[in-house]
Amino acid sequence: MGVEAPRPAVRWRAALALALAAGFGLVAMSWPLLAAPGGALTETTSGPWLFALLLPLVTAAVVVQLADGGLDARAVAMLGVLSAVVAAVRPFGAGAAGVETVFFLIVLAGRVFGAGFGFLLGCTGLFASALLTGGVGPWMPYQMFAAAFVGLGAGLLPRTGTATRAGRAGELVLLAVYGAVSALVYGLLLNLSFWPFAIAHGNLAYVPGGGLGENLPRLLAYTLATSLGWDLGRAVTTAVLIAVTGPLLLRVLRRAARRANWE
Amino acid sequence: MNRAGPPNGGGEGTEQRADAEGAGRPSGGDAKGTKKHLAAGNSGPPSGGAEGTEQRSAAENSEPPNGGDAERAPGPATPEGASGRVRGARRPPPGGPAPTPPPTPLSTPALRTAHRRTAHPVAWWGWALLLATAAGRTANPCLLLLIVAVAGLVVAYCRGSEPWSGAYRVFLAIGLTAVAVRFAFYLVFGGADGPTVLFTLPAATLPDWAAGFRLGGAVTAEGALAAAYDGLRLATLLVCVGAANALASPRRLLRSVPAALYEVSVAVVVALSVAPQLVASVGRVRRARALRGNTRRDPADLMRTVVAPVLHDALDRSLALAAAMASRGYGRAAGVPPAARRATGAALLVGLTGLCAGAYALLGAATPAPLAWGVLAAGAGAAVFGIAYASKRVPHTRYRPDRFTGRDWAVLASGAAALAGTVLSGLTEPAALWPATNPLAVPALPLQAAAGVLLAAAPALLVPATPKGTP
Repeated sequence: MGVEAPRPAVRWRAALALALAAGFGLVAMSWPLLAAPGGALTETTSGPWLFALLLPLVTAAVVVQLADGGLDARAVAMLGVLSAVVAAVRPFGAGAAGVETVFFLIVLAGRVFGAGFGFLLGCTGLFASALLTGGVGPWMPYQMFAAAFVGLGAGLLPRTGTATRAGRAGELVLLAVYGAVSALVYGLLLNLSFWPFAIAHGNLAYVPGGGLGENLPRLLAYTLATSLGWDLGRAVTTAVLIAVTGPLLLRVLRRAARRANWE
Repeated sequence: MNRAGPPNGGGEGTEQRADAEGAGRPSGGDAKGTKKHLAAGNSGPPSGGAEGTEQRSAAENSEPPNGGDAERAPGPATPEGASGRVRGARRPPPGGPAPTPPPTPLSTPALRTAHRRTAHPVAWWGWALLLATAAGRTANPCLLLLIVAVAGLVVAYCRGSEPWSGAYRVFLAIGLTAVAVRFAFYLVFGGADGPTVLFTLPAATLPDWAAGFRLGGAVTAEGALAAAYDGLRLATLLVCVGAANALASPRRLLRSVPAALYEVSVAVVVALSVAPQLVASVGRVRRARALRGNTRRDPADLMRTVVAPVLHDALDRSLALAAAMASRGYGRAAGVPPAARRATGAALLVGLTGLCAGAYALLGAATPAPLAWGVLAAGAGAAVFGIAYASKRVPHTRYRPDRFTGRDWAVLASGAAALAGTVLSGLTEPAALWPATNPLAVPALPLQAAAGVLLAAAPALLVPATPKGTP
């Protein structure tokens, strides 16, 4: 494809940092399910808040490692403009239940510009949108982190030939399926991160130290009662938006990537 | 942090370094660029006359190398805010525009006060997070309402008239929604029980395969009160965050980002400036489309004739911006010695490993809690050190650094007073912080905590309100 210029390369140190951050993020989001009875986390109430504070630190460390040695000016400018697009289309999804207009852009851009760029775009896009709307809340670190990994995954998908019509269709199907699955997982993980705070008593509440057997049915019931409709809506809109806008956006983005190759 | 020293990594990159003033000033007869920037630049009002003219970025007065784009993408996005940092600011470019003496913006007292208008955004966030932590340590409704009132008072006194200043009200609405949702959950799914039955809803028990939950049933005063207290606690946390959103200027906050995150913060600043331009771009493209007689409304046609041109325009503009930035040395790999980079990487990786190991150790029962917490803290420390070390190695200067003044420390201290009062109350009268709902009782106001929270209202007196119209 010859599309190399604005791609921040992921070197081994950055790859290791990403893997470690993924491990930390998994704990920070799904600790209610993973915490064993008698573990230190079930004995305290301040642990979850600590995760919410440590997640930005982990994200910053990974971003520093990714931008090690300086990002190319083209990557910075492209990142800025695409983050602006993300921030601009995000309010379209805020009104209607379950319509999510952010992911398809992050997935498509991550596909074209690579995994490192997708990760950074997930962070900066949601951050810029939160700053523009004054919506910096306790959920933002989780959203940034999860969206960053959505973009990262899109960049890691296997390559398909783009020369033939079948190859392009296959790429679209691949991206649409990936978008739907990642949207569902994103919803579940965000749900999980907020679940212990959202409800404290009753049948659906998190039981500290309950273990997986006790808490998983409660989580599923909670998801069913609150957000499954939203998550499904998010998955469907993401897949549909990728399928509908994908041919055009991939062409536009690849053209920009080619033109950025001026050196 | 005025580190203007040139990088110690050889002569590489000398000509890529741009003079701060040279980059920040239109180099000749480009007054149009200035106007364009002020008109189309930002969602927020241009921040003060002095900043508007001073902080123009390299992108304004530049001819991108691929010449054709210059017409189509007039005045690319301006990394305001972060443009304060330019590499190697002391060294004028070898063949650049003749450096005229820079206008010294901080010399006049009027501008100085305009710049030092409100407390540092980091101070506001610290104050709000400390207040939120205090709220998280209690379920006493009197205390929680007092915290909401204090936050509202400070916001009413200290907020400016920027677009984000209305965030407090928005977060108040979100908080009320959280209380309502919590209450609805209690009604449907049950919660704490008690003897005082208010009314009974029709009950249904789900079958075993659906986890056997009971829906509906008796609604008790004790349970309702517990749900309300809990919802109020969450709402108070959200309101505190909303206060920080309303008070702290995001643009100033971005200038306080560690230098190691410089490139990414430039990208965010570009995004903040480009987003309003996108809206204008959509309007322009649609007008042109209407003039061509195309008024079709089907989505496929809209995609082709509106979305595609707008995206092309935005991406071309980003290339023009990148060219302008590259020609002035933005976003370049600075001369950081390999040893320093390896040290940074090692510190960051050790930190991340520590954080990861600590988090997993906290999950299980095998590791003693103090050890797990210690590993987590050590990891966090190493990561912070890595970021700070990387920031030290980046040879960027900060143009007009946003210093932390005594008043900012006072704002932070007032927030800490709220937390300290709550902790004190937790030691002496824990029952007042976590009032019992069964049996029903009127919650007493814990005195130390209330005094601490009242002290947190001090910023209302310390920080002057922004005069209207000059954000």
